[in-house]
Amino acid sequence: MSEKKILSREKRYLLPSERALGAETHAYLPELCDQLQQNKIGRRDFLRQACLLGMTATTAYAMADVLTGQSPTPVRSALAATPKGGGTIKVSMRVQRMDDPATYDWTEMSNQTRHILEYVTRTRSDNVTVPYLAKSWEASDDLKTWVFHLQDGVKWSNGDEFTSEDVAAAVTRWLDPATGSSNLGLFDAMVEEYDTGKMKDGKKVMGKRGIAGAIEVVDKHTIKFNLKKAALAMPENFYNYPTAITHRGFGKDYAADLSKNPIGTHAYEMTSFGVGERCILKRARDWWGGPLYLDEIHYYDHGEDTNAWVAAMASNQVDMIFRVPNDAVETLKRLPHVVLHEASTAQTAVMRFRVSEKPFDNKKLRQAVAACMDHEEILKVAFRGLGQVAENHHVWQGHPEYAKLPPLKRDVDKAKKLLAEAGYANGVDLTIAVGDTDGAWMTSACSVFKQQCAPAGINVNINKMPANQYWEIWDKAPWGYTTWTHRALGTMVLSLGYRAGVPWNESNYNNPDFDKALDVAEATLDVEERRKKVAVCEQLLQDDAVIPQPFWRSVYKATNKKVHGFKTHPTLYHQFEQVWMEG
Amino acid sequence: MLRLIARRFGLMMLIMFVVTLLLFLANEADPLRVARSVLGPYAQPEQLDLWIQQNGYDRSLAIRYLDWIGRLLVGDLGQSVIYKRPVGEIFWTRLANTGILAGITFVIMVLLALVLGVLAGMAEGSPRDRFISVLSIATTSVPEYASAVILMAIFVFWLGWLPGTSSMMAGFSWIEMVLPVSVLVLYGFGYIARMTRASMAEVMTTHYIRTAVLKGLPYKHIILKHALRNALIAPFTVIMLQINWLLSGVVVTEYAFGYKGFGALLLEAALRRDIYVIEACGVAAVFVAVFTQTLGDLGYTYLNPRIRFK
Repeated sequence: MSEKKILSREKRYLLPSERALGAETHAYLPELCDQLQQNKIGRRDFLRQACLLGMTATTAYAMADVLTGQSPTPVRSALAATPKGGGTIKVSMRVQRMDDPATYDWTEMSNQTRHILEYVTRTRSDNVTVPYLAKSWEASDDLKTWVFHLQDGVKWSNGDEFTSEDVAAAVTRWLDPATGSSNLGLFDAMVEEYDTGKMKDGKKVMGKRGIAGAIEVVDKHTIKFNLKKAALAMPENFYNYPTAITHRGFGKDYAADLSKNPIGTHAYEMTSFGVGERCILKRARDWWGGPLYLDEIHYYDHGEDTNAWVAAMASNQVDMIFRVPNDAVETLKRLPHVVLHEASTAQTAVMRFRVSEKPFDNKKLRQAVAACMDHEEILKVAFRGLGQVAENHHVWQGHPEYAKLPPLKRDVDKAKKLLAEAGYANGVDLTIAVGDTDGAWMTSACSVFKQQCAPAGINVNINKMPANQYWEIWDKAPWGYTTWTHRALGTMVLSLGYRAGVPWNESNYNNPDFDKALDVAEATLDVEERRKKVAVCEQLLQDDAVIPQPFWRSVYKATNKKVHGFKTHPTLYHQFEQVWMEG
Repeated sequence: MLRLIARRFGLMMLIMFVVTLLLFLANEADPLRVARSVLGPYAQPEQLDLWIQQNGYDRSLAIRYLDWIGRLLVGDLGQSVIYKRPVGEIFWTRLANTGILAGITFVIMVLLALVLGVLAGMAEGSPRDRFISVLSIATTSVPEYASAVILMAIFVFWLGWLPGTSSMMAGFSWIEMVLPVSVLVLYGFGYIARMTRASMAEVMTTHYIRTAVLKGLPYKHIILKHALRNALIAPFTVIMLQINWLLSGVVVTEYAFGYKGFGALLLEAALRRDIYVIEACGVAAVFVAVFTQTLGDLGYTYLNPRIRFK
């Protein structure tokens, strides 16, 4: 009873059970415990934050039980099954290049190597980031210094010991512009601009590189990152698809090509590989992280046609397909030997305006177009209702800092009024570029929106083009429909896509108020407080009508019934350590 | 005849020159676009500039074209953007895979079409002729993407008799060839059968066949010795056309069944802008088309006794 008593913030002290579990790890943890007890934050937010502050996953789950009185935890129930060792899982997935993991640009590439190389942290399928190659970490109160304590006793497959030198070498490579890694943008807090000494169009050409001294090896198993500004998502960033930790000699003592030098810390090794054909992994040794069940993991490439993936699943050629296309969900549901796994995600597509280009530099026009959108109808018609309605601000309902704003409603009269104020009283012709980069549903969504805009006098032309052509103009087209993948925090995606001047700011949005609010949000650890700051960002994006955003997509995976212990990850990452095969 | 051969091959070379020029201009005219294709959509401007300089894309278009042709002639097809390997390493394997699919399909399709065409043409207007004609028109009218889905729905999803894909995961498998070959045969045989039927029907009405019948020759002998050779001249050109279709026209079928062939390679390259693969496949496809047509023309000239050179 006493443990569940709600304690005042001023007099907050740690209960013996909380102290025993490690609630002193970070100064903010007692506050976090209060918030969970008072139902101000959810269980998932608590787990995410506690792990982010350096608590081990097991401890965080146990503490959540103590604070909420809930039991058993998902961890325990997952482990309650009786797994059997042995067997092979066959997966239908595109098999792509496997050279330098720091330059990966597709999830499939990272899945091929996910059981060879490992990551500093791991984001679980419940969107909570937990320790992995780092056994714990600490952040300074200002979130500018992060210390990661690495696992002892982990060996590389070539016999070398895994140390902080490996992490330092990998991060140094990511921040070297010559590597060409997208991690350079991800770890922006460790990056500086510099003069390349070149001139273009009469202007100096500036480049980006890692700041000297940002990476500090403290000892064999401790590494410190000194950041130029607060970074909330350091642990999450360490589990991005191009952030696998390679051996310290990778790209230095031997060529940066993993398919030729597959040295890893995981237990599996690659025995056969061909781009566009197959990737065969076999268990070669015990895993430092605990028991493993699968002997082999096979990836087979069945091409671009999603019907072929489904047919491979139907005829038992494979045990799992990487992604279920939304039009195949009903077909797969009818197959008796197949289990469908759903994950709600922050994967989405935004009909973003290039706000610096005519006619979309006219805010009233943008607002008029946004007012025409019936989000729910587009979700139902174009995506069979397999997702959640979005709210034109790119923060997902599942993000910890999501702030609920008044619901958006389609208002054609308001759209007409705004259109007249924008100077288009007699209507306007607009063109949206779409490349179906993630499926034909994208054109369908544009078609539905076209119908919704028509009554307001807005004639939308759909400029459909091949996916590769769209990727050439994704950040240039005046109006385009671009897909964005799931990210664990709302601030991560806002920072990547809407901050002035960042490479992926496809809308060219430049609002100092927004940037300021985002800076404050990113330096705020308290979820409730951060939610208030993020609400400002959300409202600004809605008011400025930068991205009509119809919906968030759920993702589906299909497995054979004999596959056990599998959970769909929101970013479709494969985590097969708990997976086992029946029979 | 030698002059004809020389002229046909000369024309072939001219077509190849025009095609290579068009392919080159479509893919490599803009160096920035090439750099973007190779380095990906997120490459920074300075990376693109550096790549253009390092790979000689700052040279004039004519020099680059001649350089490319020179490398093509010695078998250097460039480096694939997707596969990160020399195009040659993937290209020949994929071409061989399509060769296997095309070879099996060709033998079954031509035999079936000739037999049915001859059977129909022997007795024009009979119920047998009507049945074969309707069957041929019906199967040829259904495009491959539709018949692939229909066959898949029946034999994979409903009956569960056949594997749904033909990617040869565990090495070559005859059972995995059944569906793609069936789709191609169904689509392709009707056209040849119709041509054979028309040709056969025409031959059967000629005076020399009537004379042979009146002379009392056995019917089998008339068909095999006198009618068939002349009836096969017209379908010969159509059959030669099928070789070209089986190489570059099987894209849809390979795509539908995940078959690792030339067509799937070309499609994938086009979708992902793997320019060096597109160029290699484009040149190969056009070469086969032009070459088979040249052979077809020469073969037709040889088979048809009415065309003779002195």
